[in-house]
Amino acid sequence: MARNPGLTDLPMRGAKDKKISLADRWKSYIAYHRITLRNAFKKLLVEPVQTLLTVTVIAIALALPSAMFLMLKNVEQLGSGVQASAQLSVFIKKGVTSQQIKQVQKQISDLPKVFSVDYISADQALQEFKALSGFGQALTYLDDNPLPAVFLVQPIRLGTSSSNQVEQLVTTITSFNAVDEVLVDMLWLQRLSVMTDISQKLVLAMGVSLIIGVLLVIGNTIRLGIHSRKEEIVVVKLIGATDAYVRLPFLYSGFLLGLLGGLMASILLVGSLLWIGQSVSVLAALYQSKFDLTGLGFSGVLGLCALGSVIGLCGAWMAVMQHLRTIEPR
Amino acid sequence: MICFDNVSKRYPTGLEALKRISFEVAAGEMAFLTGPSGAGKSTLLKLLMLMERPSSGALLINGKNLTRLSRSAIPRYRRQIGVVFQNHQLLSDRTVFENVALPLQISGYPPSETGRRVRAALDGVGLLDKESHYPLTLSGGQQQRVGIARAVVHKPKILLADEPTGNLDPVLSAEIMALFRRFQNVGVTVLIATHDLSLIHTLDHRIICLADGMLISDGGSASGA
Repeated sequence: MARNPGLTDLPMRGAKDKKISLADRWKSYIAYHRITLRNAFKKLLVEPVQTLLTVTVIAIALALPSAMFLMLKNVEQLGSGVQASAQLSVFIKKGVTSQQIKQVQKQISDLPKVFSVDYISADQALQEFKALSGFGQALTYLDDNPLPAVFLVQPIRLGTSSSNQVEQLVTTITSFNAVDEVLVDMLWLQRLSVMTDISQKLVLAMGVSLIIGVLLVIGNTIRLGIHSRKEEIVVVKLIGATDAYVRLPFLYSGFLLGLLGGLMASILLVGSLLWIGQSVSVLAALYQSKFDLTGLGFSGVLGLCALGSVIGLCGAWMAVMQHLRTIEPR
Repeated sequence: MICFDNVSKRYPTGLEALKRISFEVAAGEMAFLTGPSGAGKSTLLKLLMLMERPSSGALLINGKNLTRLSRSAIPRYRRQIGVVFQNHQLLSDRTVFENVALPLQISGYPPSETGRRVRAALDGVGLLDKESHYPLTLSGGQQQRVGIARAVVHKPKILLADEPTGNLDPVLSAEIMALFRRFQNVGVTVLIATHDLSLIHTLDHRIICLADGMLISDGGSASGA
């Protein structure tokens, strides 16, 4: 040995286990997190092509179900706009006094889901019919008015489970004494509702399978990273690293990949929506409608990023734990 | 400090690497573990590092039975021992300083104290001026000394070494051995596996000899604690 330091220099002098304080542990923990995050970033940048490919795959897998979900949401909104015009025709029994009619009108307009009630008396109905049908002359030969009095009931704008609520409204109104019959064209509403139900389930199934796909893609990427650091992991474990210590760098990598994937998916979606939105506005204008495409929104972008990050964390976790189990003592 | 009681290890392949081994190394003692290749030296060290678990028998370290240690307790146990690996196992993408700091970082020492301890350990092996070098730029002997610094930086009570002089010439080997003796002098229990018989016979220490998985001689403690 060229130089022979005194024993005071030896690290194990007074080899007593000095307890590390909680504050020091915390400081060290934070420092490790900071270093690890920085290294994870560096690692992504070292292989830009590989990173870009992985992020793109994740982005596409996240964007596809999200796009379908958005489409569905827009269709639903379109449907709910039409539902507002789902008018109920309430026919009043013959021979009901005007007193009773006023009472029924009040009863109906007091119902919570009713937006407006218009009364068309039997005479008014006859006038209208005469004017519109072209039977005007013939009708004057009738002894009395065959037409009943009618209330036109406009339900308030209802939510997605509207067909059920409309049905309830119909039952309630039918149960009133003076009411003869309530008519509503419900069938197509029901069809639309069932169709959106089915599409929702389809989107959900597709979303779940694509999320599993993202999980596997991230898991695989992390597994490659683990493989290239195999020796390092063994050494660090032998020196006394916990599973959490070994896991952290990979969790950060997975998290970053997922987050970037979510961000890119958001960009893809917002871009396509802007592009499609122009055509939709033109179409809506042709129908004299003020329909606007519902976009992703800030919460949607946030949600996609969060979803990506969580999937990234899970994928990385699974890959690391699988590897750590193989190097356990037997 | 280290106590093997009837320890056997049989690998899943059927190979019986250790057969009913019993011996004890006292606290502050330095002992050599020797024997031909395949005698079971590595297996014995692996049991001590908890890389493998004994098939039967009891292995006590500082009075604690390793066979009963749970999976989650392994990291804490490993932090109490220092290990010098045969091929030093330094991480080539990190500087000498970062390599030596690793055990402290893992144990949760604050960065401020880490620097002080790492420099003390590097000074102890005479490599203080190499702290910002990368391991591959150092000579074999220097790399091994970095490995030793890493093994002792957290002041372990037990120091294990697997062929620490494996690829070194006699002069360097003697230097390394002198280092180990200095650690023993400050109370560390040292167990060194080596087949370098010419070297250890010049030193006056206990020699535990394995052959074919069995303990064939235990050279007594010449210079105990």
